[in-house]
Amino acid sequence: MPNLFQKIFRTGIVTETLDPEGGEVVQLVQAIDAQAKRMFGRALAIRMVDAGSCNGCEIEITGITGPVYDSERFGVHFVASPRHADMLLVTGPVTRNMEIPLRKTYEATPNPKLVVAVGDCAQNCGVFAGSYAVAGSVDQIIPVNVIVTGCPPEPTDILRGILTALERLPKRS
Amino acid sequence: MQPIFLLLIFSYFFGALAALFFGAHAWGRLLMGVSTGVGALASILLGISVIVSATPFQLTVPVLLPMAGGLALRLDSLGGFFLVLTGVGALPAAIYGIGYMTAFSPARVSLRQMGVVLNLFLLTMSLVVFADNVLTFLLVWEGMSLTSYFLVVSEPEEPGTVRAGVWYAALTHAGLVLLLAAFVLLMNGGSGSFADMRETAGTLAPGLRGTIFLLAFLGFGSKAGLVPLLEPEVAAVQMAPSHVSALMSGVMIKMGVYGLLRVGLDLLGNGPTWWGALVLAVGAASAIFGILYALMENDLKRLLAYSSVENIGIVFMGVGAAMLFGAQGMPTAAGLALVAALYHAINHTAFKGLLFYGAGAVQQTTHTRDMNQMGGLIRTMPRTAFFFLIGSVAIAGIPPLNGFVGEWLLFQSLLPGVGLAQPLVAALVTLSIGILALTGGLVAAGFVKAFGITFLAIPRSQEAEQAQEASPSMLWGMGLLAAICGLLALTPTWIVPGLTRVIAGLPGVGIATPSFTLGLSLHLGDGFADVSPLLAALGLLVVLGLIPAAMALARVNRKLRVSDSWGCGRIDQTPRMEYTATAFAEPLRRVFAELYRPTKELTIDFHPESRYFVQSIGYRSEIRGWFEEFVYLPVLSGIQWMSRYVRLLQSGSLHGYMAYLFVMLIVLLSTLLWSTG
Repeated sequence: MPNLFQKIFRTGIVTETLDPEGGEVVQLVQAIDAQAKRMFGRALAIRMVDAGSCNGCEIEITGITGPVYDSERFGVHFVASPRHADMLLVTGPVTRNMEIPLRKTYEATPNPKLVVAVGDCAQNCGVFAGSYAVAGSVDQIIPVNVIVTGCPPEPTDILRGILTALERLPKRS
Repeated sequence: MQPIFLLLIFSYFFGALAALFFGAHAWGRLLMGVSTGVGALASILLGISVIVSATPFQLTVPVLLPMAGGLALRLDSLGGFFLVLTGVGALPAAIYGIGYMTAFSPARVSLRQMGVVLNLFLLTMSLVVFADNVLTFLLVWEGMSLTSYFLVVSEPEEPGTVRAGVWYAALTHAGLVLLLAAFVLLMNGGSGSFADMRETAGTLAPGLRGTIFLLAFLGFGSKAGLVPLLEPEVAAVQMAPSHVSALMSGVMIKMGVYGLLRVGLDLLGNGPTWWGALVLAVGAASAIFGILYALMENDLKRLLAYSSVENIGIVFMGVGAAMLFGAQGMPTAAGLALVAALYHAINHTAFKGLLFYGAGAVQQTTHTRDMNQMGGLIRTMPRTAFFFLIGSVAIAGIPPLNGFVGEWLLFQSLLPGVGLAQPLVAALVTLSIGILALTGGLVAAGFVKAFGITFLAIPRSQEAEQAQEASPSMLWGMGLLAAICGLLALTPTWIVPGLTRVIAGLPGVGIATPSFTLGLSLHLGDGFADVSPLLAALGLLVVLGLIPAAMALARVNRKLRVSDSWGCGRIDQTPRMEYTATAFAEPLRRVFAELYRPTKELTIDFHPESRYFVQSIGYRSEIRGWFEEFVYLPVLSGIQWMSRYVRLLQSGSLHGYMAYLFVMLIVLLSTLLWSTG
């Protein structure tokens, strides 16, 4: 225990301060934050659904919460249940096994809800199109607000997609 | 009052006769139910009229029992209260029994026998509170024990019934022996009339009085099922038919309270502090152990039976506190504690009866008592579920129902004891307040389990899926008790002054009626808090009823969507995914592992080729009770050890017995010769 505290004191703060003009990424997440506050009056909660992806998109989405983008500091949260979510982030072609769970997830998300389909597979099933295991693209199963293309799309693209979806949402009545 | 008394006696007699001759027919059971109900009503009426008029009812029949003072009956207001309690328990039982008894198959259960014995049980139990001399008391007490034994073994083919009956009979007779010893010591060579004993009890030596008290406490405590004598009582209540369970658990164990009050407080008079402290400590231990064992049970009726131990423990806490405060010269607190005890006693009769009737209705249609086979019954038996919910809320002591009032009174009466001068006594009182609070929380958890696992979610078995609502007479019986629960909850401002009249004659409790002011709220006098259950109920009605109603009317929630509960998107929900009764109690089982000492046994059968494939898997887990291992088993083995030596004498050989007679004759003759010569 003393060693731990010693190390904490000796090391000090090593993270870099945030550059207010710091490039496109920072501007993007700040825009999302402002937009989410305007829309919901609080942070944006996202539920991620893997409907049958190859996990390429997942690695990029994980990047959003990683040390470079660190979306949590701008109030973009990934949550553990659709009951807590404002937005669904769906990846991959929808497999037959995931068709009903995806519908149920959409059903369980409270209104107003947004759906962002991430990746080429979500758009048109990609290389998996025509497979016996695939039920269809995401927009064939549930209503989709924004599609982010790319195989896989970069975190910046995904953030841009999230922002676009937020801007399209009708204002709170 | 004599006509009401005769009505009481003859109604129960007539009920027994109706059952004897026509018990095999439905109309005969209806006749019996009506007759028993009239008897119950008469006992309520007689009890209340004795309490209100404050004149004891007296009847002596010297012809009936020529020795030891004849059959002496006297009903004072203390007995009157317990007579009312008997009636409150018996009336719904009579109504419920009409429909409930049809469930038994006549091939396995004699309905005529059950009806006859039930009426005799009620009769002897009512007469216990009338008894005014030792012989009468012991006679009706034994009658009550014997009839209840026969009721317990009503279904002898059910596994476990006979064993439960034997244990129960053994314990109840051991208790009788202790009571006999206590009474013989108390008579001290004088007459067996209670009035004489009350006079002479004060002149006995302190050591003798202490012994009498201990014997009486043990004897009556065994009837009440206090720690550590709870197991046989619990098993008996579990195996009995449900309306009998309700009577045994709701009324009969209260006779233990009555007996202790009559002998320990009324006849013996005020005792030293340790009497009260002992009763308080044993009561507190029963309360906490009872509910802790109840929490682990998956058998619905056994859970309720353990919970009765908890409730009778709370009642004994009140009695003990009253005796303790009486010895410490705090008459107001003592009176309040006794009022709380009596209030809780009648509360328990109402809600435990209700719960047992609910459990009986469930058992009748699902043919099981195992909660892990139930579930989802709220859809098939909505009325039973509603009544069971009322009982659960009441027993958990949640306002606005009646359990709250009794426990609140007990808390109020215990609080002044914290400041007592003797540190040990003050510590005991403080500790028991904590135990009472912990018990309350655990009861709530236990009845969330009992109600939730039984009535909510998806049915866990075919029987539960095809369950049917209870018959009208059973529902009426439950409804009556639910109404009594409500009445007891909302009118403590009338009942508490009535109870102060009940305890007025007891020594050491100098409670003055004017210190209780009537009105909307219950004012207990200076130094105590006030509460108004009526206003609390109104407040809850506003918060829980009117505000949502107004919101619905104003269409605040017009965007409401109704959809499935979120199950992680799984396609099919099956009963196997549900929380089981065992799982619900698992956290507590870990916290109190020292007490339960659970054993686990995991057997896995692997595939011979590879350990990655499991062929079968078995899991067994049991809890081992302290009492069973450290109290019952040593006593049992002790008795067996002793009987091995007794068997040397009791050889079974006729010649041996004749030799004993011959030797005895010679010994007697030579003694005679020696003493005269």
